[in-house]
Formats: sequence, C-alpha cells, structure tokens
Amino acid sequence: MRDFIEITLGIVIALIFYTVLAKISISLIQIFNVFSLVIIYFALDKGEIYGACIGTFCGLIQDSFSLGVFGVAGIAQTIMGFTAGYISRKINVLPLRRNFLFIFVLVGFELLLWALLYSFIFSETINTGKGLIFFQPLSTALLGSILFILIRKFKNLASKQNK
Amino acid sequence: MPFLLKKKKSLIILVVLIFFQLILISIQVPLDREESYFEKAIFSIFSPVQHGIVYFFQKIGNIWKNYFYLRNVQDQNEEMKKEMFFLLQENNLLRTAMQKYKSEKEIRDTLSKIHKNILPARVIGFDASNFYKSATINKGALDGIRKNMVVLDKHSNLVGRVIEPISFKEARIQLVTDSESGISVFSQKEKVPGVLTGDAKGQCFLNYIEITDEEVKEGGRVITSGFDGIFPPGINVGEILSVIPSTSLFKTIKVKPFFEIRNLDHVAVIMLDINEFF
Repeated sequence: MRDFIEITLGIVIALIFYTVLAKISISLIQIFNVFSLVIIYFALDKGEIYGACIGTFCGLIQDSFSLGVFGVAGIAQTIMGFTAGYISRKINVLPLRRNFLFIFVLVGFELLLWALLYSFIFSETINTGKGLIFFQPLSTALLGSILFILIRKFKNLASKQNK
Repeated sequence: MPFLLKKKKSLIILVVLIFFQLILISIQVPLDREESYFEKAIFSIFSPVQHGIVYFFQKIGNIWKNYFYLRNVQDQNEEMKKEMFFLLQENNLLRTAMQKYKSEKEIRDTLSKIHKNILPARVIGFDASNFYKSATINKGALDGIRKNMVVLDKHSNLVGRVIEPISFKEARIQLVTDSESGISVFSQKEKVPGVLTGDAKGQCFLNYIEITDEEVKEGGRVITSGFDGIFPPGINVGEILSVIPSTSLFKTIKVKPFFEIRNLDHVAVIMLDINEFF
C-alpha cells in the first residue's frame, strides 16, 4: 500500500511539474522530461519490474495528452524503466557523477527510441523545437542527479530523527 | 521449471507490457479512427488533475495580483480585457457576415446570436509528443462543447477545432499546425482556393495551388473559405511566407499562422455549427 501511495504521489508531482513547466514556457517541456525522472527514481528504488510498470503507466499518461497513436511513449518509457532497474542492480549508480551519467544515457536512449517509433508510425520527424530537444538528456540528468541526492539526504535525515 | 520462471519473471513482465502496448497501437490503425475507450478514460482521469493544477496556480497568482497589487485597477483591467475579448471576436466574425445582410434587424439578430455563442476557455495543457499538434482546454461536455467546434485566439485568428476526447470539464483541440489537420482556405485578395495543412513544426502548407497560378504571392493573407463544412468562412488563418515553384503540378507554399503558440492562453470556442453561422 505504501508503495502504491509513493508511486501515485511521484506521478502526480511529475504531472504538476509538467503542467507548470508548460505554463511557464512551452519549450521547457522539451528540455526537461519529468516523467522519465519519476520512472528512473522508482526503478532505482524498487527494481526493474516497478520501473517497467511505472514506465508503462507514465507513458500512457503522456500519450493520453498527445494526439495520435496511444502507446508510442508507453513502449519507450517501459523499456527505459526496465533498463534503469536492471542496470542499477548490476552497477552502483548512486554517486553523483555516475548518477548523472546514468540518467543522461537513459533519457538519451528513451528519446532515441521514442523518436524512432514516432517517425515509424507517423512517417514524420519529431518536432525538435529548433534543437532544444537535444538538450533534454543533459538538462534532465542535471536536474535528476541533484534531485535524487537531495531526496536521499532528506530521507536519511528523516530516518535519523525517527531513531 | 518454476525456478526458471522465477528467474525470468521480470523479463516476462516486460514482454507482456510491451505486447499490451503493441496491441494498443495496432487496434488504432488506421490512424484516423476514433480514440479508444481506454484513452478516453485516461484522459478523463488525468486532465482534471491538470485542470486542477492550472486552477490552483491561477488562484495563487490572482491572490497576489488582487490583494497585494493595485486591487481596484486590476479588477477594472480584468473586466475590460474580458469585454475586449468578446468585442474582438464579434468584430472579426461579423465583418464578413454584415456585408451579406440587408436589413438592420437581421444584423442585430445575428449579433446577439453570435455573442451568446462565444465561450471563453483557457488552455491548460499542450500535446506531450509535439506541442504544435494539440492542446487541452478547460471547457468540456458540461459547458456544451462538442466535436468540430471552432477555436479562435484572443485576436480572432484561427487556432483549430475541438476533437475527441471530450471529458466533462476538459476538451482537446487540434491545432491548425498539426500535420493531420486540413482546412479549406483561400487567399484573401485573389480568392484562390486551397487546402491548408500543418507541418507539425509551427507552420503550415497551402496545398493544391497549381504552378500556373501566378496570383498567390508572398505576404498575402489566407482566410477560411467554409467549403470544408467545419470552419466558417472569413476567419483569419495566416500569412504566406514563401512560394516555391516545384517540378510537380502544385506549388509549395508555406504559411505562417497568425496565432502564437507561446501566447496561447485564452481562446474562444465558437459554439455555433457552420450551418447556423451565416
């Protein structure tokens, strides 16, 4: 039950960020992929099965806000979530630099996968927003690695206080 | 065997999830079929969350504006903005209509009918895959929104039309810049007809203008013709950016839409059907 609440909260926070970013400037939703951060966070925390399931769910939410084929973002996010959980079991990706690189590679991989699926299904290239979308892995990795460290510190502090 | 299954459990789940989504994709072919109930359900669940977030931040912003920053002036300004919003819509929509009517009574009747049928709405979200394709507004079936209703920006330029899914309090609009959109238009001055489609990158193409047609030139305005049975005639759409002669039968004409996606906040939904219009 606790897992369910945590995941729901994470998705709602991502949705809040996504809406607020779009309201501030529409280009920001191309620069930051907040849904990917939620998927990676839970994949690191709970493993590849959770990563894949949350990836499916977040992808379908993104698809429901899109015009066109339902399931394109879902597949890309599912594979990314699974990969994130699987790799994190094999390699320690928690240190800041490794974490940054890990998110960078995963978001880049997800973007590539999504762009390929999108081009294949719609027979058109993705909207790169004058190249802004190519900053997505870098900016998302920067934001994600800092956020994950802050969340971990906050959790450690909270558990110490509980003891 | 059970050990193997346990070991491969995560892989099986991944395959099942991907297979589920592949089925979802395959049942949506051809692309122009209506949205599935599953998609409608997800939209109906999450668009109110988006609506709520925008409403919350709008309220926070209003508190700041109204209580800490020249409250009375702000109120007056808001009222005037609202009034101007309606007047701009009316003015542009009626410009074409008024020329067609002779009696003053007819003009008055049409004016009152149109005023009652403009529904102001707010854009609460954009397409997650490509923001030039669609947007979500905070008005839905309970406000009387129906499929194919025309959406204009605050300067009365064409933004798009309402498409499905439509939830109780939210609806999706297809923007003119979407590559799947098609609008019957003509060049305002020369009255050369064509079909406008988006390029999904912020601009549009004016299609089916023959290479022998010399009248269509850069800088010309494009307006709706009404021939498609969805968009009423006379609505401003965009300006011709470039006319490139090609080796095919038709010219390649780029059109820049008048509406600005980055300033798309308030929109007007025209609640009238094209047949009731003029």
